[in-house]
Amino acid sequence: MKTDWLPAAPLTINWAVTNKCNFKCGHCYSRADPFDELDPDVLHTCIERVARSGILSVNFGGGEPLLRKDLMDLAAHASQEGLRVSMNSNGYLIDTDNARELKKNGFSKIGISIDSHKPEVHDSFRGVRGSHERAVKAIYYLNEAGIETSISSVICKINHNDIDPLTDFAVHMRVKQLNVHNFKCSGLGYSNKDELDLTSDEWRQFYIRALEAKQKTKDIDISLDDPIIALLGAGKGDSMVKGSVCGKLSLNIKTNGDITPCGFIPIVIGNIVRDDLKDLWKNSPVLEKMRNKIPTGKCVQCSKFDDCLGGCTARAIALTGDMNNPDPHCWRNED
Amino acid sequence: MKIFRNPDVMWREEDEYKKQALDALEKDDEAADIGTSILYYDGRMLTLNILGTEVWKRCDGRTLDEMVSELIEVFDVSPQVLLKDAAAFLDEMKEKGLISCED
Repeated sequence: MKTDWLPAAPLTINWAVTNKCNFKCGHCYSRADPFDELDPDVLHTCIERVARSGILSVNFGGGEPLLRKDLMDLAAHASQEGLRVSMNSNGYLIDTDNARELKKNGFSKIGISIDSHKPEVHDSFRGVRGSHERAVKAIYYLNEAGIETSISSVICKINHNDIDPLTDFAVHMRVKQLNVHNFKCSGLGYSNKDELDLTSDEWRQFYIRALEAKQKTKDIDISLDDPIIALLGAGKGDSMVKGSVCGKLSLNIKTNGDITPCGFIPIVIGNIVRDDLKDLWKNSPVLEKMRNKIPTGKCVQCSKFDDCLGGCTARAIALTGDMNNPDPHCWRNED
Repeated sequence: MKIFRNPDVMWREEDEYKKQALDALEKDDEAADIGTSILYYDGRMLTLNILGTEVWKRCDGRTLDEMVSELIEVFDVSPQVLLKDAAAFLDEMKEKGLISCED
């Protein structure tokens, strides 16, 4: 795609429907967010507006989406409006019955958070004993119900050396994708970054191993959403957007309707209740700045800037306050 | 052979860019670099130019020959060139798993 080519609307919306959660994750980005939620009627109207904007899919998150009592109604409504509906869940509340209900109400894909093939490591990271076992069962129930599943893993100090066993585990669980998420220093992730985040060299080592695993694994797709992998020659080709996808393909909606470029960037560009989404998408100065990042510091002379566009914008903002600054995870030295 | 879009692929046309491409064709200008639709699958994105878009829209059980006989009314090229370009496009789509074929 040409860099100046911009679709008329986002392709997908990540939509936090509740910030309530039954877990105690030390990296949670939404724990500090306000807990006010839109009323069901308002939310239904917003879903209709999103669908009319041409958006193709919504991914419900939070918080734990299943703690929102009307989740099934929301999903059914979104599905009836023509949106492809998916969700990220910790899986703790999924059983045989509601797995079928999720299918019936339009969920086509559900990602379950599992950060380690070792139950004790996952349980400790998520703060709830038995959560690994429940997540494993959730995937089983969802597969049985005919919903496409994926495993989402947040890479940090607890698991960065375990990509191979994690991949084997994902294959064993018969999920379609292993979504490997880089650690973001947002919310509690910022407070706990010293214990959890990797050094830039550890990130380099991790991505070398992860790309090898992706190359050799044919049974599942390993998805690496970090623009920094462009430094290793990955992520090229006409099917991928360069740099962060936030603000180029997707937007985030918070529980109170506030719209941000992504869940990890706390810059509100509007509100879905009062603002026209396509107008925001086209005219927001924040999105315009994200789409046209100006290299600073070591990015100025870096031969890879055209591929990674400075890396993850959320990390640059969280740790330096300026989206144009180099991604703090970048391992390349000053030229 | 009937050709079908992969139902897992989400897609939409981009009206503004489609208008640009049609205007370019009208003036005999180059339109091949203008993305007029967008495909979204497994977190990946692909843009199609005007020919790709028109072929893609017809992947609903029509055969290649049927597509070409319709599209020859739209594009000012010889049937042979259109057949070759459309076949090459469909080969690429098949390789990416975005279409399937049935006898």
